[in-house]
Amino acid sequence: MILRETAPAHELSEKQKADAARLLENLERQVAALKQEML
Amino acid sequence: MKCGAGIEARQVNELSINIDPIQAGGKLTGDAIKAIIAYGDGYSVCDNCRKPNRLDCIAKPPIAQFHKEVAAWLNMDDARMMPGARRAFQAVAHTYVKPGDPVLLTSLSHYTEFLAVEEAGGMPCEIPADADHKITPEAAAAKIDEVKKKFGRAPVLALIDHVDYQYGNLHDFFGIAKVAHESDVPVLYNGAYTVGTMPVDGKALGADFVVGSGHKSMAAPAPSGVLAVTAERAKEVFRTTQIEGDVTKRRFGVKEPEMMGCTLMGATLVGMMASFPHVKERVKHFDAELENNRVVMEALLSITGTKILSEYPRRHTLTRVDTTGSFDTIAEAHKNKGYYFSSALNDKGIFGLIPGATRVWKFNTYGITGKQARYLADAFVAVAQENGLPVQ
Repeated sequence: MILRETAPAHELSEKQKADAARLLENLERQVAALKQEML
Repeated sequence: MKCGAGIEARQVNELSINIDPIQAGGKLTGDAIKAIIAYGDGYSVCDNCRKPNRLDCIAKPPIAQFHKEVAAWLNMDDARMMPGARRAFQAVAHTYVKPGDPVLLTSLSHYTEFLAVEEAGGMPCEIPADADHKITPEAAAAKIDEVKKKFGRAPVLALIDHVDYQYGNLHDFFGIAKVAHESDVPVLYNGAYTVGTMPVDGKALGADFVVGSGHKSMAAPAPSGVLAVTAERAKEVFRTTQIEGDVTKRRFGVKEPEMMGCTLMGATLVGMMASFPHVKERVKHFDAELENNRVVMEALLSITGTKILSEYPRRHTLTRVDTTGSFDTIAEAHKNKGYYFSSALNDKGIFGLIPGATRVWKFNTYGITGKQARYLADAFVAVAQENGLPVQ
């Protein structure tokens, strides 16, 4: 949703950058868990 | 990324500011996007269908509760989710209109309202808009009198758009409904552009039926919509089946013929449900949406020769403008003809204008941020300046 709110330039505010970082960290954790459980 | 052979992933709303007049209010929330993935399987919402075996009565996921909440939110007594507003028009028209019956529409009515009347065999009687493209109670009263003289009776139903799709004008629905009720005409409120974008109180407006569009204004997948009704009308539109098989003697319980048994299902319904808390909140901030629209309109009107065809100041974000005296003056001599305008906007990350349109066109700023509104305003002015149009 951040991409929708920042289109088309995608110049993120500090808060949006923090939100994006949190989302990506969470995603990385989920991918790591999947790797551990499935592979 | 591809979703399948030949199907590119759509990224319009991630890469652009989308001002398509019919798409603005239907952009999904993050929760709705998650819901359509989780509930995409065909009969996904039917895992826990129990007696009375009707979709709107399912408790898990909380579909029954959602139906109650939507009815209460619109200040009506009962509601069903529909596969689009047009199916709600169809259900109501099929209930009340018999072949040859006069039905009140307006000169700004959406074509699907006409088709619903046609399918029921009704005769369309349009209330004409005035010079300002407004439908007034006075014009409604005059039309009802005209219908009575011509048909020897009042219309059996009126379908009235609160905000019309052509100009985005806000019409005096309350006044029109009052006039219609004086002749015992039930009134359907077409809220395709209002339910989900701005506050709607069905009973305060005098509506017998409130219709909304999920994919147009409730941040929901297509096709989705809502039909909310008063208790009196619920007995009629939501009547249950009476049919019985002559051989098997089968009957079909509480299924509703106008809903074809079960109502909106699967990913569309759960997408609507997932967006609903966000939608309830966003209607409280329609003034901010109008402010964004004002920023864009002021920029457009600063370009010499541009006219607004919708009512002004704006009371809705769907807006019709005439740029025959501005952007269209460039089209004839431009190597890309009228396509230069939409192309220039696309290059700046603006999506939603009809390619080639430089005379009369519509846009909708609903759902964009303040920063995006300023960007959009600057983009219109920049395209004008790049093409030598005077800006005040």
